[in-house]
Amino acid sequence: MATLFWAMTIGGAVVWSGVVALSLYASRWKRRTVSEKAAARLIVWAGVVFPVSVLAALLGYALWLMPSLRPFAAAEQARLRIEVTGAQFWWHVVYHRPDGTRVISANEVRLPVGERVEFSLASSDMIHSFWIPALGGKMDLVPGRVNRLSLRATRPGTYRGQCAEFCGTSHALMAFPAIAMEPADFEAWLDARGRPSAGVGVASNGRGLFLREKCGGCHRVDGTQAQGTSGPDLSHVGSRLTIGAGLMENDADALERFIAHSASIKGGSLMPAYPGLSAEDLAEISTWLKGLQ
Amino acid sequence: MRHLLPKEVETLWTLFTAPVVWALHFLICYVGAAVFCEKPGFLGMDFDNLRIAIGLVTVLALAVIVMSAMLAWRQWGFGTDDPPHDDPTRRDRLLFQGYATLLLSGLSFVAIVFTALPALFVTGCLR
Amino acid sequence: MSDRPKPDRDKAAEEARLRAVWANPGGWRYWTSVNNMQVGLWYGSAAFAFMLFAGLLGLLIRAQLAVPENDLLSAETYNQVYTLHGTVMMFLFAVPIFEAVAIFLLPPMLGARDLPFPRLGAFGFWSFLIGGTFVCGSIFFGAAPNAGWFMYPPLATSEQAGIGADIWLLGLSFIEVASLAAAVELIVGIMKCRAPGMRVNLMPLFAWYLLIVAGMILFAFPPLIAGDLLFEMQRMFDWPFFDPQRGGDPLLWQHLFWIFGHPEVYIIFLPAIALLAMIIPTFAGRPIVGYSWIVLAAVGTGFLSFGLWVHHMFATGLPQISLAFFSAASGAVAIPTGVQIFVFIATMLAGRVIFSTPMLFAMGGLAIFVMGGLTGVMVALVPFDWQAHDSYFVVAHLHYVLIGGMLFPVFAGLYYYYPLIDGKKMSDRVGRLAFWFMFAGFNITFFPMHLTGLRGMPRRVYTYPADIGWDWLNLISTMGAVVLGIGMFAVVVDVTLHRRRHPRGKPNPWNAGTLEWIGQPEELWGMRSIPRIESRYPLWDQKDLAKSIHAGEWYLPHAEEGYRETLVTSVLDAEPEQVLRVGGTSYLTIASAATLGTVFVALTFKWWIVALIAGVAFVAAVIWWLWTGTGAIPEKEEKDIGRGVSLPLYTSGVKSAGWWAMFITMTGDGTAFASLVFGYFFFWTIHDDFTGGVAGPGVFWPMAALALFAAAWAATLGAREVNRRGGVTAARVLLVAGALLSIAGCAAALAGPWTTGLDPTAHVYPAIVWILAIWAAVHGAVGVLMQLYCLARSLAGRLTPRYDMELHNVALYWHFMLVTAVVTFGVIGLFPEAL
Repeated sequence: MATLFWAMTIGGAVVWSGVVALSLYASRWKRRTVSEKAAARLIVWAGVVFPVSVLAALLGYALWLMPSLRPFAAAEQARLRIEVTGAQFWWHVVYHRPDGTRVISANEVRLPVGERVEFSLASSDMIHSFWIPALGGKMDLVPGRVNRLSLRATRPGTYRGQCAEFCGTSHALMAFPAIAMEPADFEAWLDARGRPSAGVGVASNGRGLFLREKCGGCHRVDGTQAQGTSGPDLSHVGSRLTIGAGLMENDADALERFIAHSASIKGGSLMPAYPGLSAEDLAEISTWLKGLQ
Repeated sequence: MRHLLPKEVETLWTLFTAPVVWALHFLICYVGAAVFCEKPGFLGMDFDNLRIAIGLVTVLALAVIVMSAMLAWRQWGFGTDDPPHDDPTRRDRLLFQGYATLLLSGLSFVAIVFTALPALFVTGCLR
Repeated sequence: MSDRPKPDRDKAAEEARLRAVWANPGGWRYWTSVNNMQVGLWYGSAAFAFMLFAGLLGLLIRAQLAVPENDLLSAETYNQVYTLHGTVMMFLFAVPIFEAVAIFLLPPMLGARDLPFPRLGAFGFWSFLIGGTFVCGSIFFGAAPNAGWFMYPPLATSEQAGIGADIWLLGLSFIEVASLAAAVELIVGIMKCRAPGMRVNLMPLFAWYLLIVAGMILFAFPPLIAGDLLFEMQRMFDWPFFDPQRGGDPLLWQHLFWIFGHPEVYIIFLPAIALLAMIIPTFAGRPIVGYSWIVLAAVGTGFLSFGLWVHHMFATGLPQISLAFFSAASGAVAIPTGVQIFVFIATMLAGRVIFSTPMLFAMGGLAIFVMGGLTGVMVALVPFDWQAHDSYFVVAHLHYVLIGGMLFPVFAGLYYYYPLIDGKKMSDRVGRLAFWFMFAGFNITFFPMHLTGLRGMPRRVYTYPADIGWDWLNLISTMGAVVLGIGMFAVVVDVTLHRRRHPRGKPNPWNAGTLEWIGQPEELWGMRSIPRIESRYPLWDQKDLAKSIHAGEWYLPHAEEGYRETLVTSVLDAEPEQVLRVGGTSYLTIASAATLGTVFVALTFKWWIVALIAGVAFVAAVIWWLWTGTGAIPEKEEKDIGRGVSLPLYTSGVKSAGWWAMFITMTGDGTAFASLVFGYFFFWTIHDDFTGGVAGPGVFWPMAALALFAAAWAATLGAREVNRRGGVTAARVLLVAGALLSIAGCAAALAGPWTTGLDPTAHVYPAIVWILAIWAAVHGAVGVLMQLYCLARSLAGRLTPRYDMELHNVALYWHFMLVTAVVTFGVIGLFPEAL
């Protein structure tokens, strides 16, 4: 793929320079005219033979690459399948482990380094597109269809992913961090995410307020009666790198702002703003949420 | 071959023969593959059969193109005259038509070969 | 008859008469003109104005993106701005500007007095102006479309898209109708209205290109119109064509849109290249090298461009093999495109090039376009496209293609052809300055976008975070946009102020060889007399041609009967066949466009009654237009056009221009119909049981409808034949019978889904069946109107056994109607049974 890109870029630059130089020669620099016969030969060789052969080679190479780029023939071998469902303007993420257990998360994708991971992509409202530029191509999330994509991260690190198909007002704010981890760390992380966060049980008003304000109607927090599904899962929200789908760094302050002003921070999002909550209540809720590590 | 199309037939439409063949070939390949992959039960055959079918259609299409090219070559007077064919005579108009048709046959030939290439490399309805 | 015109001709009187016949009315009635020069100028100016408006929107986009996390525009406003930028540039500038140039240039280039249907051209212009103003105006009410210029459902079918989506769909459908009208006019004009002797091997390349482009419009626009129809049915009446919950599929829209959308790119590009094909030989001072190669390229591109649409859908999850076919065709289309560029280079190599301002724009455009073409080959390859798709790389690519392949050539054309408007050249100094600003500004704006895209910036984002490597690239782009804007502004100033500053120049200032340069910009008759053409570059090769044309020494130098007339010639050899009387000044064109516009606007706001009244008014206006303006029985059989040639004034059937117009219109109509049928089978392929368990319309009613329509077809055909043999009464009876049969056919068509209780809002299957049945019924109803029209003409003595053009055209319509009926009822009645 990289070879193809560089071959095309360098080849393209050479062809472009050649064509421009030739046109400048023809229109400005040349001293005397060429015979009509010679000019016609130029059309045949430079306009027909050359492009046909180059294009045939390129096309053949790209077609030959195609099956190997997304080895779905080997899809069964992918140990881990991650189901991503797009919604305005966030990502529902479910990890399907080989043993059949599922781990639900949102707005963050983690994957083990060096391993091919299969993604199942769907949408619950508009067309979105799942794209982690550093890891590979994009694939659309189309309502009514399930598309597949497979990626392999080769180096640990945090990459930015985002929605690449215009999906409404806050399309620009629909991003997510993608974190490639060493396989052992990843497994440990996933194990922990499979259980309710320890923070759930912490004695705090935040939890009561969260439930009183009916946040659980849309959000799920594992280990509580909050089991809503129309908003992002918040079971371990405190441990995520960002909130608001890649929008802000995750700290108690940002959480407070997001809860109070979500509608103006993220236009068109379904989450109602809670400007009526007192500063203390907001602080209590966000402290509790931040504690869901 | 020479009697396939009487020489007296003069129309602008012959110019479009080869590209129309390309279009039909393209359509058959695309629709065939789409139906094959979307409704696996309908055509009920192996993907390799689809590839063979595309191959056969391609050979057929190329044969028609070659035929159209021969007719065009005849119309062009078998290449006895060089372009530009810009005399205000019926003869030059015919030569021009033949030459342009011949060139289009060439382009369509290449385009059909390009269109058929995927059947060589792609081995299933992968998505 | 002598070879020379009669010596006793009073040339001054002849000229005065001709001038009076072709004169435009004065005062406010000026706007009722239909002359191609006027309409072309209005068309061009309006398109140019829309382009400047969209350019300002583009600057707003760049201003918003200049720095990260900018809050100059809100997300909602930004989404409207970028949607309108794309929409206006594509639909209100790029396509109409070529129609404008074609309407303005083709008649003089081909040696015609006017195009064959001047009123249709004017109607197209007024439709375009009304629709365009409606679409553009919406942004001042915050109601502009906001879902991107390709309007993907389900976003665009949702509540969130608001009325903007309706404005887009209906406003643009209206403009698409105008484009189809232009296509009909251009095809008939190029095939049948060339000067005598202008054989197909002598046709100006511009005409070749335009012929192909008009043909492409015929096959590219109807799928979009069909898509618009389905789309609007979903928005207005909740028919679930794109709703996956009820069996629909959002991807159907993407197919229909891009079957239109990709050829559209070439519909824009080819006419611009056509301008270069006229400009380059002039400044190389020699005929083009590789005339046939250009024809190859135009025809080849025209066809191949229809095999590319899925390359806009590489990331939608289609099977790899499908993607690969389109990847292959996308590679193949680069071949004819390359050929054109080398034809130009070869022509320059073989000539002595004068590097004028138009050439500067032409060469700058080519340099930019080649780059866009090369990145195009890159994104045509599926693996790379998955990375670049919907990123700023694609934004860069499409602007390189469109600005290099279209805007710069159009500016070259503007500088080149401006003297045809008023005999004055535009300023060379300003032109060169503007070019360098535009060229530099363009590259500074769009080159960095390749990198921004490779660094992962998706398109259509109203903001982006700082510190992820996109900020400085965006800032550079914005600065470049300002420079580009300054260049454009300079051209605007030059266009608006130059009249005062420049003296009148020579009639053929560039010493060009093609016929449009015979140079009498102030005369509206197009050609004083219509010459016999013997060369591709008649002004170079035919001695004193301009002089003899102006002296009225050629064909049709007079208009003694007081009609606007032009010659109709044969397709291949351009032998004179007929003197065609074309429509003159009329308010009917404006009335028709205004009433049709009202229909579309009223539908947008769901004012059903207004829409209905305006619809009836539109049909009335069109019938009045046809009744008074077409098919008039001439006062004599033949007219002497000079040089011993006498031609008939009336033809019917395949020889008449009207027959061709009907044929071409119905081809476009048939394409729209085919797109709906494609939709039917598309739903069949994506579902295991596409009926969703709903019983279909049965077999009886569809078959009854088919039989009735077939009988109506036979009656119409019979009427034509009987009438020709003199059986006027029998023909009238057959027409009445045909009308009754087709009314019954319409009823039977609708009875199928009606009696079986198909609910179109329940599932996509009943919805698509209803659409097909309604399509057939509406066409049947139009067929009835046509039959009754012929009957009325016959009763009024305007249609006789000798003068029977209307019957031929209506019979042709019914041939298409028969095909529509066979397909519709075969599909909805029999296909479900066959499964």
